[in-house]
Amino acid sequence: MIRRNGLSLFFLVIFVLALAGQSIAGLGAYNDDQLGSGGDPVSWGAYVTSADFAVDVAENWQSEYLQFLLFIMVTVWLVQRGSPESKSDGTGDQVRPGSPEWAKTGGLRTMLFANSLGLVMGAAFVLSWYAQSVAGTAAYNREQLSRLQDPVTWPEYVASPDFWDRTLQNWQSEFLAVLSMVALSIYLRQRESPESKPVGAPHGETGTDV
Amino acid sequence: MIALPVSACAAGAGPDVEEAAGRFFAAVAAGQGAAACALLTDAAAASLPEPCATSILDAGLRGGPAEEVAVWGSEAQVRLARDTVFLHRGPGGWRVRGAGCRPDGERPYDCEVSG
Repeated sequence: MIRRNGLSLFFLVIFVLALAGQSIAGLGAYNDDQLGSGGDPVSWGAYVTSADFAVDVAENWQSEYLQFLLFIMVTVWLVQRGSPESKSDGTGDQVRPGSPEWAKTGGLRTMLFANSLGLVMGAAFVLSWYAQSVAGTAAYNREQLSRLQDPVTWPEYVASPDFWDRTLQNWQSEFLAVLSMVALSIYLRQRESPESKPVGAPHGETGTDV
Repeated sequence: MIALPVSACAAGAGPDVEEAAGRFFAAVAAGQGAAACALLTDAAAASLPEPCATSILDAGLRGGPAEEVAVWGSEAQVRLARDTVFLHRGPGGWRVRGAGCRPDGERPYDCEVSG
């Protein structure tokens, strides 16, 4: 069981550890700010349920889901144009014994299933970006009031430099990471990794089953 | 009782904030400087010339009826008829961190008492 799901379990464990680490480090930084501005330090429980923690988490989640959404959708389009083995969408003549039920039934269910990964990633992106905007409004307004400034409404916050600074600083790093992966994997190899072309594959080979 | 507009995640804190602001201005209006100073944050009290109990009464603070309350986490703002006050929630409850405040464009409010 564990061996068969090792990849998922590994990333689940390091995700939980990293999130816990973020909560501890974030609490320290938050309390430093509080003391520096004449406020009071808060407990770990108060911090992890605060808007400040929520916005820091959500802004990273939305950018990761956007990264995978774009990677999934853009590579589908490119592969359709240039990769013969991926022109079919897995329904119709590629249905075989053991195919998921929704891949075989046709109609709306198959259409949904055929796009389910993109749809779920897209929904996760939209929801986490919305969560970032809501939590960001609350965190921003707490800071505004602590500086003796007026709070803003949600539409005002979504149009504010703070919201777009948080958003774009995450997006640019994700786009750079994807660009690096796409470009470097042309010439570089990682033996036995399915994310790499085989070591002996020519540099010009595209559409490798990775 | 007048229902005031309250904008906040924790809208339930609105009455507590309004009450704290009301007690502060009631103490000032009654000439109870020590009681008013006890409702300030430590930093706000320290920003006033000693003794706080005297200087708080000389600051010309006049509140009036509360018109709008905003609460965001541990910070709050109450707009009154003749003043805008800022409050902070600490272990002892809501305390005034800014009073006698006038807007100054995009900059922080210009307050007679702040800290």
